[in-house]
Amino acid sequence: MRRTFARGGVHPPQRKELTSGVAISSPAPPAIVTIPLHQSIGAPARAIVKAREEVACGQLIAEPGGFISAPVHASVSGKVKRIAAFPTSIGPSVECIQIESDGQDTWVPDVNLGASECTAALAKSPEDLLATLAGAGLVGLGGAAFPTAVKLRPPPGGKVDTLLLNGAECEPYLTADHRLMIEEAPGIIAGLRVLMRVLGIERAVIGIEDNKPDAVETMRAAVDEIGGVSVEVCCTAYPQGAEKQLIQAILGREVPSGKLPLQVGVVVQNVATAFAAFEAVVRHKPLIERVVTVSGGAVAEPKNLRVRIGTSLEDLVAHCGGVRGELGKLIMGGPMMGKALKSFDIPVVKATSGVLLMDEVEAAQVDEQACLRCGRCVQVCPQGLMPCDLAAMANHGRLEGFGDGADCVECGCCQFICPAGRRLVHSIRFGKSDYRRLKAAEKRQGA
Amino acid sequence: MREERKFSVTEPPHISSGETVPRAMLDTILALVPVTLVAIYFYRLNAVFLIGVCLLAAVVTDAVARKIKGRKPSVSDLSVLVTGLILALCFSPLTNWWTAVFATVLAVGIGKEWMGGLGWNRFNPAAFGRAGVIVLAPVTVFLNRQFAGWNVSFPMSPDVVDSVSGATPLTMIASPQMTLDVPHLQLLLANPGGGGLAETSALALLLGGAYLLYRQHITWHIPVSILGAVAVLTTILGHNPADHLLTGGLMLGALFMATDWVTSPITDPGRIIFGVLIGVLVVVFRVFLGPTEGVAFAILIMNAFVPLIDRLTRRGVFGQLNAAKAAAAKATATKAA
Repeated sequence: MRRTFARGGVHPPQRKELTSGVAISSPAPPAIVTIPLHQSIGAPARAIVKAREEVACGQLIAEPGGFISAPVHASVSGKVKRIAAFPTSIGPSVECIQIESDGQDTWVPDVNLGASECTAALAKSPEDLLATLAGAGLVGLGGAAFPTAVKLRPPPGGKVDTLLLNGAECEPYLTADHRLMIEEAPGIIAGLRVLMRVLGIERAVIGIEDNKPDAVETMRAAVDEIGGVSVEVCCTAYPQGAEKQLIQAILGREVPSGKLPLQVGVVVQNVATAFAAFEAVVRHKPLIERVVTVSGGAVAEPKNLRVRIGTSLEDLVAHCGGVRGELGKLIMGGPMMGKALKSFDIPVVKATSGVLLMDEVEAAQVDEQACLRCGRCVQVCPQGLMPCDLAAMANHGRLEGFGDGADCVECGCCQFICPAGRRLVHSIRFGKSDYRRLKAAEKRQGA
Repeated sequence: MREERKFSVTEPPHISSGETVPRAMLDTILALVPVTLVAIYFYRLNAVFLIGVCLLAAVVTDAVARKIKGRKPSVSDLSVLVTGLILALCFSPLTNWWTAVFATVLAVGIGKEWMGGLGWNRFNPAAFGRAGVIVLAPVTVFLNRQFAGWNVSFPMSPDVVDSVSGATPLTMIASPQMTLDVPHLQLLLANPGGGGLAETSALALLLGGAYLLYRQHITWHIPVSILGAVAVLTTILGHNPADHLLTGGLMLGALFMATDWVTSPITDPGRIIFGVLIGVLVVVFRVFLGPTEGVAFAILIMNAFVPLIDRLTRRGVFGQLNAAKAAAAKATATKAA
């Protein structure tokens, strides 16, 4: 029997066949990019360029705004048009740097886009490598966008023994990581070795779901001669790609409630992040582009595109033949956890793993009615919570018993399965923030 | 100016399993089709009439009770039809239609709609209606007097009439003077015994239960723990467990009434506690109190304890069990040192 996480989970229709066979293509850089300064968890970056300034592709245009923050680089060469608030996926007005391309795609010196030899780079000290990763603006590309360098800094007292590379890609539709593993396996492995060197560890495991046998094969072939690295296959179940679930599925370790994977000696990084680490260290290329799956029933030609950060969804969809038929919903990310957007005037960011154009059938929602206490949400919750109870507490503002709710990862399994169409995730999100506020107020009163 | 495109914006997740309440209710009705067909085969038009009366009464009661609350009828979610059908299956083919209507009005009107409607009702509506006509016997007697002469009955084959008018299997096992004279195999497969319509075939009910299990609308915990508890206890008390498992409303209750989503616990351990206690109560009622709808009463009593059971069986969240174990290990380690 193949391994998976211990509790809960669902099996949504995969729909990965739309793009899993489509090789990654790289369209020409767009005429204009809108690059948000706030693209990672933590503080937004601070702009260091001025309007009308000439910038080269890959040039630093904003530096980190705090300890947990990541720098931002120009993704095209040209002239800064303006620095102002634009609508992005995280809010209606987020500070962005808009750059008009000069069409030359001139890179900053030192970048070597063709390099693939990593022996020299791997000989550098871990501190140098970490500085390179931090300087390249790396963030977790799986969706959470946590600054990679911060995650790799050895914690005081904490001991890491295993790096877990996340190739589960459990969200339906998305195939960006899948294609990357097939097409760039050597690069991913080189990046993996960089990350291992930074962490100073000898063991790494690459976790891939069994719905991607071709990726398993290419990755196995690529790790062939490297000791300490193995590829492990787990059976397909959502949310396998959630950190704690993947650690349990692959390594059999249970991260304590409320703690980080570091607690059990593990650091999890996405395969795309490893590839970006390779590019940063070997090619001296900052994180200015990523692979995005554009899919769904309402897009003419579903594709996997390597696009520049800041490309508008309008341009992105134009590369895929535009909208086909009635568009039901526009989503950034996967269908389980992605964000529904109300406009195509939104830029691709570092965390954008996919853009889905759902037709009206795909976007159909169950009408909401009273909870029938069927308990299906309890059965499928991978975190062992009771989503129906948490949602009821949140809705009624009775938060005394909400404590466990902090462990909710908002994976959406409960709402996916709910026959009564309850908007459980929505309620629990509110509950989580209300509970935090309540606890903070209690603390203030106590102090 | 760019053309305005309209599409919906909601919180994630953006896809759903396609499971809906009407679909689940339809599945429950489908699961009851085998036993309904067996009942109709034996009791002919009497069964058809009784089922028809209950379904009609359920739909009308729902419409009226909801109208009073200022709401539209809820027949489209099919749940009232499930209640009506289960109620009809609880009754013997000789039941007066007004008794059946009274039970349905109690079940749908009070048991369900006036307790808040689907999802808010604390007691299983069908059990509520079935038990209600027994508890409110004076009303039933009154109705019998008022409607005497309005009874409707249809011809049945002579041997069916014989067995229907005699003692039911449940009465036989429950009274010390009688013994069960029907072979178990016949009870399991097809037997026109004179009890409820659903008592004609345990196998047909099990088939339906298996379908609900397959469709994941129910879990095994409740039926297995009820039937298991009854089997173990009756064996201990010196009875033949098969006598109890195959008679009365036990099978219908264990598979279709106790497993009602709204009125049963949501955790698996809770479901086992709930089921075992129903089994215990059923045996107590049958062995010590005589043969009167012990199953319906047992289910109703345990329905009242569901919130408590749910509270007591909250489970450890991901990472808590492990943390507790680690703490315990650490404590032992320190002790040893």
